[in-house]
Amino acid sequence: MSARAMIWISVTLSAVAQVFLKQGLNTLKRKQGSGSVLQLALGVAQQGWIWLWAVSFVMATALWLLGLQKLQLSYAYPLLSIGYILVNFLSAIFFRERVDGMRWIAVAIISAGVVLIANS
Amino acid sequence: MSALDSTPNVPAITDALLPGHQAKIRPAIGMRAILTRWWVAFSLSSVCVVSGHLMIKAGLNTLTAAGNSSSGVIGRVAHAVMQPEVVGGLLVYCFGTVCWMIAVSQKDISFLYPLSSLNYVLVVVASAVLFAEVISTKRALGVALIVMGMVLLNRKSSEERS
Repeated sequence: MSARAMIWISVTLSAVAQVFLKQGLNTLKRKQGSGSVLQLALGVAQQGWIWLWAVSFVMATALWLLGLQKLQLSYAYPLLSIGYILVNFLSAIFFRERVDGMRWIAVAIISAGVVLIANS
Repeated sequence: MSALDSTPNVPAITDALLPGHQAKIRPAIGMRAILTRWWVAFSLSSVCVVSGHLMIKAGLNTLTAAGNSSSGVIGRVAHAVMQPEVVGGLLVYCFGTVCWMIAVSQKDISFLYPLSSLNYVLVVVASAVLFAEVISTKRALGVALIVMGMVLLNRKSSEERS
């Protein structure tokens, strides 16, 4: 796998991981409401979504370390912003967060920025 | 779940992570009081995430300079993870992630995630200064567009809150 491919897979995975995390925390909040730190820790450990976040996070980090050995940080880091595009789609679909026209225009501008950096 | 579930009221996660923050009498400058303000948790996470990434890259740069002879994917990751700067960077980054979790539990992720694009500017500028990476016009323009997108997203969200 090329260093560039590793970075692209890594950034996609980190974005999806954010949605797993939010889903896990939402489920947790719905289930247990207020509680102690211990209760929270137990709740977190029992949440499948949070495990999924952890696994994605570890894999994304490994790929990031491998890819970043060969690439410049100023190339790789801004590519994380493809997460905006993914998170906007996913949080609109799964959390029914309001994503209106203005946000989509913003997402389009960010995408243009990502394309420029990808080719730089 | 509606969007309302995750907006401004400080929810259960913060209650649990920071017990006692709802008490009427609390120190004016206490960790608990500070982290229950989403923007403080968010700023702290931003600083830690950026410096974490810079430390990681610094460690990987020494690795490349020394020549990475390990074979296999796991071997190469293990080798990278054994660099002190990489370990330090990952720890700082982890702390940033805890702060991020506290912020996310108080605000919509579609509001907070775009805000974190401030990190791009900080990382790119620091890469040029610390690692002498050459920032082409294209790359600088790309970052500028990302920040423009961020401002647009942020402005809209401010209106929603008022």
